[in-house]
Amino acid sequence: MKMKKMIALFLAFAMAASMAACGSSSTAQTEAAQTEAAEGETQAASGSVDFPKDNVNGIVQWGEGGGTDSLMRPLSTLAQETLGKSIVIQNKTGGTGSIATQYVYDQAADGYNLLMGAENPELYKVLGISELTYDDFDCVFLIGDETTGVVVGKDSKYTSLTEIVDAAKAGENVTLATTGTGGLPWEVAALITSITGAEFKQVQYDSDASAKTAVLGGECDFTICKIQSGIEEYKSGDLKWLCLLATEAVDEMSDVPLVTAEYPDFEKYLPWGPFYGIFVKKGTDAGVEEILSNAFATAFADESYQEVLKSFHINAMGYTGEEAAAYLASWQENMVNALTEAGAIQ
Amino acid sequence: MSVLSYLLVPFTHPLLIVFVAIGCFAGIYIGAIPGLSATMAVSLLVSFTYGWETNSAIALMIGIFIGAVYGGSRSAILLNIPGAPAAVATALDGYPLAQKGEAGRAMGIATTQSVVGTILGVIVLAVGAPLVSQLALKFASVDYLLLGVMGMMMVGSLNCKSIFRGLMAAAIGVLLGTIGMDSMTAIPRFTFGNTYLNAGIDYVVAMIGLFGVSEALVQITQKDIEAVKQKVDKIIPSFDTILKYLPLTIRSSIIGVIVGALPGAGGDIAALLCYDQAKRTVKNPEVPFGEGAVEGIVAPESANNAAIGGAFIPMLTLGIPGDAVTAVMLGALTIHGLQPGPNLMKTSPDLFYLIVSCLFIGSICLVIFGLTGVKIFAKIVEIPRGILLPLIIILSVVGSYAINKNLYDIFWMMAFGVLGYFLKRYEYPVAPCVLGIILTNLLENNYRRGIAINDTVPGLVASIFRSPISIILFAAIVIMFTTQTNTYKTWKAKREAARNA
Repeated sequence: MKMKKMIALFLAFAMAASMAACGSSSTAQTEAAQTEAAEGETQAASGSVDFPKDNVNGIVQWGEGGGTDSLMRPLSTLAQETLGKSIVIQNKTGGTGSIATQYVYDQAADGYNLLMGAENPELYKVLGISELTYDDFDCVFLIGDETTGVVVGKDSKYTSLTEIVDAAKAGENVTLATTGTGGLPWEVAALITSITGAEFKQVQYDSDASAKTAVLGGECDFTICKIQSGIEEYKSGDLKWLCLLATEAVDEMSDVPLVTAEYPDFEKYLPWGPFYGIFVKKGTDAGVEEILSNAFATAFADESYQEVLKSFHINAMGYTGEEAAAYLASWQENMVNALTEAGAIQ
Repeated sequence: MSVLSYLLVPFTHPLLIVFVAIGCFAGIYIGAIPGLSATMAVSLLVSFTYGWETNSAIALMIGIFIGAVYGGSRSAILLNIPGAPAAVATALDGYPLAQKGEAGRAMGIATTQSVVGTILGVIVLAVGAPLVSQLALKFASVDYLLLGVMGMMMVGSLNCKSIFRGLMAAAIGVLLGTIGMDSMTAIPRFTFGNTYLNAGIDYVVAMIGLFGVSEALVQITQKDIEAVKQKVDKIIPSFDTILKYLPLTIRSSIIGVIVGALPGAGGDIAALLCYDQAKRTVKNPEVPFGEGAVEGIVAPESANNAAIGGAFIPMLTLGIPGDAVTAVMLGALTIHGLQPGPNLMKTSPDLFYLIVSCLFIGSICLVIFGLTGVKIFAKIVEIPRGILLPLIIILSVVGSYAINKNLYDIFWMMAFGVLGYFLKRYEYPVAPCVLGIILTNLLENNYRRGIAINDTVPGLVASIFRSPISIILFAAIVIMFTTQTNTYKTWKAKREAARNA
């Protein structure tokens, strides 16, 4: 009797699995069909660009309320006035943003699906997360990047990055709260390791907010914060900022030294920071890309959006076309070099 | 005195009250449709209210938040599909009540307890926010791990034929919960090279399939039974009833606020924990738990609504979101030029009290909107099954697609429906399966974090005894465990027999 039940259970599993399998193959087919259809359309439209005829989808790599999301929503609200059609924001989270990246890549290269993301895809290939990077996309607009810094809790015994590095080298347990492989603290730790040779014990949290919480609560020794996510704690004294990874001091945090003061070798990686951009699949009509770039540039120049950038402490860039491509290329090269030197990747 | 004037701001700007009311009304329906969530609605509002004045935007968002958390109970009671993860526990006793023709009573109780829960949550937010946030900060990885273990203990509380069956179902859930990219090492697990599986299985998808579709499938295969006539004459619970359950409501609300205030756990965990503690502590329910006990609605509904006030605590005192909705609201505040952080209460105390007062207005709106539509809603259960069941399946498909607009989610949902059908058919409970999927993340990540910090398993265990929070949680687990064993039960029976003699 028991055996029978087990068999039934297995059958249920098999059915479920086959359903999922059949389902996936059929979507692949429809997607392929869509791509073909859309390719026909782009060719027809390339003579005179009539874009957008329909609403545009903005696929955000990160969750609602995250840094990327908060920058993309107001920009899209403003840009749709120029475009004349709505930009419908969707958050497709997971896999360090690779789900959204894959999704946009699987759609037609017609400019109707925008990938709104942060720096992470640049490292997908070297980390083995996905075969895609921003090389498979064209950047229609690069909003800006952020300055980051090393922070410890208010009761921490560490008063400078040098002390942290020395302690780690001396074999002490120095814990770094990270947001996972490929996340910001992990990236910066690799930069620090490549310069100083010190390695830290990395403890991973779900988001930069929870990594910060771990340092505030004393569970971890230090983490890497963006200005935006740590400036209020700086003002209240709940977090101590040890140094900034920047070439210039930040106005509101003038007493925080630059990392180059302690480690001049850092110069070669700077300026460095996580960036935010809007991308379309490679192969999109140049006319369509231009229309999108212009719409976002107009929105970007809007006074109210500049206010948003200021409150998020973003170093505004507003790059499009060649300029954006050059920035991305050098960013990727710098990071891959540093990761190789640090031994984080082979 | 200034506090009072801040609190009264919405009353001098009646438009704010209107916004809270509109939000609350819309929120109930958003919450009731599985797949649509408060997080989704509030983030849509971020774009929508970009040009608005901050207070109005906040008022609308708060209304939606309260409405949606409550709305999840509607579909849980009527269709056995929890509208949101926080309503999973509500379905356990709410749906059996509806099957007995008491959907109206169940919704009435859910409404009043949600309101009381919200108000208690707001009171804690207003009075004890700095205190609770300090407590939340002290929660270390090992404490979250213990919280997860406590949640897992609930498998024993869910009605099932044997504990083995419950554990089997939970194990399936845990296994399914591990699918996807391992967030710590970026290595895909059980994805078979499919990028779309990297994101893992959304537990709302699992919930819709295992609860909703499987129930529809079970009913399809049964001989046609007449739909249950619903009693709708006494839907508003009397004051005595509310008073009778007040101790349970207060207990559940306290757990709700604290768990809600933890950045790493929210209303869904709170509701499950409270259902569990209600089942363990309520001595003689009128009806056994799982068969339509009113206490089984009171506990989770007051807890998940109290968690709203809780979620605002770290958001307003530390600038750290207490859950997904407050994370979106934090972003919205920054877009509107405010600087959320530890100084927020000093720099903009008006905002703090505005939120408190909007939450309070929202709970009043909940009474009105929650109780007025109950009679019509109860009729849903009376719809002939030939019409209702296909509707449930369509709703499930639409809902599971709406979460991430991902076709795979629909396939998963259907697969879960089939799995749930066979589980039910062979008398394996489905609830532990959902529990497993919900808790895997909490358990696994915090276990690995704990190991990363303490190096070894003995180190992790030893770290329990270094913090008072951990010791209390650990003691609670030990008590929960021992009181469940036969040795304890026979000992207790003997002692009672001795006392009576």
